[in-house]
Amino acid sequence: MVWPRLILILGKGGCGKTTAACALALHLARGHSTLLAGLDHRRSAARLFELDGKDTVALSQGRLTLAELEAHRELERFIERLVPLAAVSRRLIASRTFGYVAAALPGLESFVLLNRMASLAWEAACEDRYVVIDGLSTGSTLELLAVAPGMRRLANRGTLNRLALDLEGFLADPARFGAAVVIEPQELALKEGLAAVKQLQSLGVQSISVILNGVPAPLFTPADLRAARPLGGPSARLMRRRMQIDSAVRRARRRLRAAVPNLIELPLLFSPGFGQAELLELSRALSVTS
Amino acid sequence: MWEREGGRVLLCLGAGGVGKTTTACALAIQAAHAGRDVEVLTVDPAPRLLDALGLSHDDGEPQTVKLGAGAGRLRALKLDPKATFDAVIRRHAPSVAVAEGILSNRLYRDLSTALTWVGDFMAMEKLLELYSESATGLIVIDTPPAEEALSFLSAPRRLLDLLNSRATTLLGSGLDRGLRLSDLAARGVLSAFDRLSHLHLLTDVQSFVKNFAGMYQGFAQRAARVAELLRSEQAAVLVVTSATTVRIQETVDFLEALRAADIRVNGVLVNRLTPPLGKPPRLARELAPALRRKLLKNWRDFAALKRREERALAGLRALIPADTELLCAPEIGHQVRSLADLAELAKAIAPLHPSS
Repeated sequence: MVWPRLILILGKGGCGKTTAACALALHLARGHSTLLAGLDHRRSAARLFELDGKDTVALSQGRLTLAELEAHRELERFIERLVPLAAVSRRLIASRTFGYVAAALPGLESFVLLNRMASLAWEAACEDRYVVIDGLSTGSTLELLAVAPGMRRLANRGTLNRLALDLEGFLADPARFGAAVVIEPQELALKEGLAAVKQLQSLGVQSISVILNGVPAPLFTPADLRAARPLGGPSARLMRRRMQIDSAVRRARRRLRAAVPNLIELPLLFSPGFGQAELLELSRALSVTS
Repeated sequence: MWEREGGRVLLCLGAGGVGKTTTACALAIQAAHAGRDVEVLTVDPAPRLLDALGLSHDDGEPQTVKLGAGAGRLRALKLDPKATFDAVIRRHAPSVAVAEGILSNRLYRDLSTALTWVGDFMAMEKLLELYSESATGLIVIDTPPAEEALSFLSAPRRLLDLLNSRATTLLGSGLDRGLRLSDLAARGVLSAFDRLSHLHLLTDVQSFVKNFAGMYQGFAQRAARVAELLRSEQAAVLVVTSATTVRIQETVDFLEALRAADIRVNGVLVNRLTPPLGKPPRLARELAPALRRKLLKNWRDFAALKRREERALAGLRALIPADTELLCAPEIGHQVRSLADLAELAKAIAPLHPSS
């Protein structure tokens, strides 16, 4: 598929957002320079890559850079752009009062973050690069994306109003912005994921993908199950477990195919470790399916 | 465990998706079965869990959960941050007019519904309310999924910073005492920004801060009481995590942040631990060779996942403080559907041994 310049990864806690973000970023980095940016200060991606403070992943082919976006720093940059006089904007940022107003004005930080994403996407388009954003739960992401229409109502004209309109245009442009919902093959996660897709649609997002994470390679057939029926003990238990996962995957696949055009599957890797080698393997699987 | 020793508060912390709410409910049921009166405060529970607790038709009131004879009283409550915030304002406002002024303020309306930290803040307000209602009962408290370890403590701080009396002076109209020239300049710049951006928020901020001024002390005192309570012997803190590499690393950071804030963590619970696999299975000779190969491959696959889990846990074991108990709960293989499931889950919580 053709990916938008900036892809925001969202999903329920523990569903493998960071894993999916890393795999997608590696996949894109093979052809184009790619930035993987975190939003949660946890540097989760850098940990998976075992980077130890560096910000570039050493790859045999392509270039992948990691960064963290911090709302407060972005707010300062934003004010510097909005208030053209450097002396005035510096004083404004330094004043504690401004801190109170920023804290009291819900959405200002989100608004600024979203603005930053729009400019990252624009830069990426100019330089033929990609940006993958990782780090927020479904709820926080939807909160973040809903901030543009909210801000447009709050500031009914002027600079902020214009910026808010631009942002709504950005979210609806499939060449610049896309959202990828990560879902585990599990009933509740599936239901919540489908609800998130609906909400993204209602926010005007055009490019929506679903990444089904943790799909094991097929192993047993129904005939195997019949042949192994007399079997008891741990092997039978593990066989049932594998087949439970398989049937959950089939159910999820069926429901998701009906609901979203872009369904991507990430395999469940049965490896004793999980680091850069595994992420590379997942990214190769992405190249095959997408 | 600690809830039988007469402690009053059990606080469950952890990242999203680790089974924190389920654990909190399971421990609450266990304590009630042991004879204690328990209140369990949940945040955003899964629908099945709501069914199990009888909270499906939630009206914001605590629901008594029916347990067998001999058990203490168990009440479950689902936190509604907005309704709790409104109730706190109504209770503590000096007059009805002030309360209505705040509740109808544009800033307050946005603040109380749009921000994730309000959930943390209101969980703490609710905790204090429940704590003062009974002298002996246990309160089990589930917190919103945390992106930072200390968000439940810093949440009240954020509002307090906002309402700081200094801000009141700055934003209040007229020339107040103690206002420095730089403050006046800041106020000027701020109102210029307000006009420039067409936000027209300053009036709202001013009326909000003015209405809140009289309640500042109360909020500050309650925040201090919560902080004190959570650091006292009355409270136990349980950090819940799952056994994946990323979550375990986050938990280690979490513990560090809690220690830096002088909060003692009584236990770390590793949830949904894969049960031990034992030795490779000996398969009956009657089985077709192809099937035997598949069964062995399947065993090796799951054994690899188990090894991954053990490696991640070894990192946690090495870094956990000596006075913190390391516990585990096994993967139960299906979603929690009933009170019996929850009770069973609590019973299965055990110390985490190096071999498990």
